[in-house]
Amino acid sequence: MSTTFDQVATIIAETCDIPRDTITPDSHAIDDLGIDSLDFLDIAFAIDKQFGIKLPLEKWTQEVNDGKATTEQYFVLKNLCARIDELVAAKGASA
Amino acid sequence: MQLEYFHMIDRIVDLNVDEKRIVVEATVPKESTIFEGHFPGYPLMPGVLLIESMAQASGFLLLGVLKFERMPILAAVKEAKVRGSVFPGDVMTLEASLAHEGSGYAMTEAKIRVDGKLRANSALTFTLIPFPNSDMRGYMDAVAKRVGFPQQAVSP
Repeated sequence: MSTTFDQVATIIAETCDIPRDTITPDSHAIDDLGIDSLDFLDIAFAIDKQFGIKLPLEKWTQEVNDGKATTEQYFVLKNLCARIDELVAAKGASA
Repeated sequence: MQLEYFHMIDRIVDLNVDEKRIVVEATVPKESTIFEGHFPGYPLMPGVLLIESMAQASGFLLLGVLKFERMPILAAVKEAKVRGSVFPGDVMTLEASLAHEGSGYAMTEAKIRVDGKLRANSALTFTLIPFPNSDMRGYMDAVAKRVGFPQQAVSP
C-alpha cells in the first residue's frame, strides 16, 4: 500500500505536470514547487476525493494570515501529509 | 436574457438543494448589439457567453446550497465543449450539479440544452468568498428575486 506521501506526490505530479522525482517530503508546495492557489484547489480536490476528507484550506489560510501558523506547517509536503493522516484518523474515529 | 448586462438566466425552474442540482431557463434575445458583430448575417451566441450562462446557473445552485452566506466567483473553466450552435430566440435549459464542495471552493458540472439537445457542457471551479460589501449582497438579492429564487433558500 502506498504511503500518504506517495499518493500526494502522484496527485501533485499529475495535476500540476511536475516531474515526480522532483517532489520530496521536504518540498514546499508553494515556494519549491511553484504551485499557486488556484492549482492548489485542484490538488485539494484530488486529495479530498482520494482520502475521503475535506482539507480545511480556509482555516489554514486564515491561520497563516493571522500569523498563528506558518505556510510551512501546512504546505511542506511531509507536514501536509501528517495533516491528511490526522484528518483520515479523525474521520475513522467518528465513523 | 440581457446579454449586455450579463443577465444570462431568466428563471429558476427547479432548485434541489438536497440533491445539489438546479435547472434554469434562458431565452436568447432575438436582437442584441452582440449579434451585430457575432456575426453579421449569421447571429450566433458566443461560446464565452454560453460558458458564462453555465457559470451563472452553477452560481445560483451554490448560492442555494450555501444559503447566500458566500458569493461564488468563477475561478477556472476545467473543460468546456460547445457541441452545437445556439441562436437568437432559442430557449436554453441549463442544468448544473455540484461535483464537489471543498473548503472555500466548489466544483460544478453544467449543461445547456436547446429542444432537449445538448449544446454545451462544462466543468467549472468557483472560489466561495464572503460578500465583499452590502451593495453586492443587495444586488444579488435583487437578482435572486428577478429569477424567482426560492425565498426559503435565500435566508440562512
